[in-house]
Amino acid sequence: MSLKLDRGFEYLKMLAVISVMILIGQRIGYGMQIISSLPGMIIIALIAFIALVIKDSFPALKFPAFAWASLIALILSMPFMPTAELFLKYTNQVNFLGTTTPILAFAGISVGNKIEDLKRLSWKVFIVAIAVFIGTFFGSAIVAQIVLKIQGII
Amino acid sequence: MSKEKKRSKLEMTEQPASLVKLYLTVLVIVVITEMIGTKTFSIGPGQVVLLPMLFAVIIGIIITPDLLGAKITKLRDLISMTEVKTAGSYVMIALLPLGVKYGTLVGPNIVQVIKSGPAFLLQELGNLGTVFIALPLALFLGMGREAVGATASICREPTLGVIGEKYGISSPEGTGVLGTYLMGTVFGTIFFGLLGGFAVATGLHPLALAMASGMGSGSMMAAASGALAEAVPEMKDSILAYAATSNMLTGVTGLYSVVFLGLPLVNFMYDKLSPVFDKRNRGEK
Repeated sequence: MSLKLDRGFEYLKMLAVISVMILIGQRIGYGMQIISSLPGMIIIALIAFIALVIKDSFPALKFPAFAWASLIALILSMPFMPTAELFLKYTNQVNFLGTTTPILAFAGISVGNKIEDLKRLSWKVFIVAIAVFIGTFFGSAIVAQIVLKIQGII
Repeated sequence: MSKEKKRSKLEMTEQPASLVKLYLTVLVIVVITEMIGTKTFSIGPGQVVLLPMLFAVIIGIIITPDLLGAKITKLRDLISMTEVKTAGSYVMIALLPLGVKYGTLVGPNIVQVIKSGPAFLLQELGNLGTVFIALPLALFLGMGREAVGATASICREPTLGVIGEKYGISSPEGTGVLGTYLMGTVFGTIFFGLLGGFAVATGLHPLALAMASGMGSGSMMAAASGALAEAVPEMKDSILAYAATSNMLTGVTGLYSVVFLGLPLVNFMYDKLSPVFDKRNRGEK
């Protein structure tokens, strides 16, 4: 139990650090005032925390915390939900792109221990991986295009 | 083994100085990249959208100990392998606010999203497109069973687990899956960040491209759909909502799709195609 509590504090600390970075980043990038964005940021961090707790509580589900976070926010913001108006009013004070820069800065640094592994890979892997990316992306896009057309949505 | 354990225990203990170094470095990257802002320019028929996150990942990679850090001692003192390792655990947490934001984009558009349900489900099958494009290419380049692991899917964590369990991670198939996984980890966001905006030039509908952006990786989805949304700003909200929904769906179906569709299909195609390529490669020699 105490281990779980430690973990909870660790999560909160990490979320607090990231929230500060987002607030500063979007102040610079999109001119959004830190004070007026603060309530929305706290709500977002809390949902993120709940997502982590759910994921840790039900490891057998294999549903990532990222997806839990989206799902909770999705439910709270559906048009017929009484929470939608207030929830969106605050969370709209946090910019979507503003949340992405800290992620990618951490992600860039985190691949630092894979550079040597990467150097060992053959150039063939590089080409094949690009083909995998393109195949996955356009495979999905073409199927989606056809089905959306048939449905008359696009 | 015991050495390994000892090391991981050491890293578990909090080192405030190391954390502060990492925080400040990331904050500086965030400040710099937000000051640069979004850059958009046209190349031929398409549009290239460079988002701050793209600059952030590139700066992040460059300052690591094996790259710029190898040349500059001061930088190595700032970002050593300890900070690199800690950064990894922060990625997962840092993704969550983005996950919440994506949820707030899907929620208000939920009716429209549900109407597109059939397209969402069927486009998941489109991920198998990799088998038809990448597998022949891998065989053409002379890869063996590595090709099966490398091209079964886009090789995010679920695929890594499935292949590792079935063939062992040190098998040829395991080497293949690790190769694509590594490439995706290092170059995935950069590649999809560039592709997302440019893909509009193909004439495919932005909503179809948005669905394709959800591949089971939060950061790749953000890079692809973020660039796409900047390229087609009048559809921004729908694009992000469709991408997020597709990504959530891949989170649910991804594992099963690899086990029941991707792997059987790639193995079937390998058995059919590899004799052809073997003969051709031998003929050349």
